[in-house]
Amino acid sequence: MEDLKRTLKQQIIDSLNLQGMKPEDIDDNAPLFGEGLGLDSIDSLELMVLLERNYGIKIEDAREGRKILSSVQTMAEYIQQNKKI
Amino acid sequence: MTMQPLYIISACSITAQDTYNRENFLNPVRSIDDGRLFVIDPDYTKYINPVAIRRMSRMLKRGITAGMRSLDEAGIKTPDGIIVGTSRGSVTDMEIFLHELIELDEQALNPAGFIQSTYNSVNGWLAMLSKCTGYNQTYVHRGFTLELCLFDAMLMLSEAKEKKHLLAGAFDELTPEYFTIRTKINYYKEQLPNSLNLYKHDDSTGSIGGEGAHFFTVSNDPANATSSLRSLAMLQKPTVAELQAGIDNILKENNLDKEDIDVLVCGMNGDSRTRSLVDTAINNCSANTTVVNFKHLGGEYDTASGFGLWLADHLCRTQLIPSEVTCKVGTSASVKNILFCNTTIMGNVSLMVVTSVN
Repeated sequence: MEDLKRTLKQQIIDSLNLQGMKPEDIDDNAPLFGEGLGLDSIDSLELMVLLERNYGIKIEDAREGRKILSSVQTMAEYIQQNKKI
Repeated sequence: MTMQPLYIISACSITAQDTYNRENFLNPVRSIDDGRLFVIDPDYTKYINPVAIRRMSRMLKRGITAGMRSLDEAGIKTPDGIIVGTSRGSVTDMEIFLHELIELDEQALNPAGFIQSTYNSVNGWLAMLSKCTGYNQTYVHRGFTLELCLFDAMLMLSEAKEKKHLLAGAFDELTPEYFTIRTKINYYKEQLPNSLNLYKHDDSTGSIGGEGAHFFTVSNDPANATSSLRSLAMLQKPTVAELQAGIDNILKENNLDKEDIDVLVCGMNGDSRTRSLVDTAINNCSANTTVVNFKHLGGEYDTASGFGLWLADHLCRTQLIPSEVTCKVGTSASVKNILFCNTTIMGNVSLMVVTSVN
């Protein structure tokens, strides 16, 4: 799980071009949107593409997506249970 | 309707020379040997916040920064309208999107490249940042793109009953891939000269590549203006005789004789196919006229006339003609009336009369 979270953080940094940020700068439980990293709606689309491309996970339901993408912890847990790649 | 002059309050260009920092223009002169004059990128964080900037291509950052800097220099927070032109939009974002389309078999495509590659991205950002809810228009017309923006601005300001300020400008981008594709259709020279020697190689087809963003805060009010665009004409693939008639017409419209022209800003691009048109414009000059060029400094691209108009305004502002742009020295002691003649690779010509405003 710890390895997955570290990999995921690096993928988020690369995918969203979070310049000057390192995986250790992202708190596992900090909210990704609004406060915390301060991501926006285009970033949420980028994160959905990241999940599909790297883990074969397609999020069809927007409400479910909101819960899954709320933090690195929730993303990692969902990936561990549902990854297809 | 009588067209009113377009008063240029401020001009900001981001080009391969340091036009962004006007005091450093041509100090030093930058030249290249590989036919690709990429711009000098300024610090983009002054006008764009760090959250937004990470998603933007160089082109988007460049367009936004040039536009906002122009408004800033004019002291205008919110213009009455924004008119922007681009021949190709954000080529980098388009290339990213198209490559992903192929590599990922049209599945799981990143949205940012698509969203930001649209032609009107820069307009939208400029409107948001300047809180402008007024007229917002994008022109996409190859070599006449900037000219149509300026023409639209002239029409708007001529119709206006009160004082108005508009932000008008254009941008285009060069990428290595775009350069390769356009070389195949003879847009760029096969044997690439050093950029400063471009005009010595006007016996072969093509030019050298360039890119830039050029924005002007314009008004129907002469207060604080440095120059005015008095007339604008677009000639589609003119013959030599048609160009001569076009020059005669635009001078007559402005009650000018060729002896009144202090400077000819000439958009010669070193292409053998447009040499006769360039010769027509230069041969039309009197002994008073100094002839200046700019495409050896910024390269050829569809909205390169923005560099030419920036240069015309710069000459009016400074009343100095740098030797690095001069190809023929005239006898006139000041810079009052400028004829700008731009030629494109397609053989189209635009003519502008620019006059300094004291």
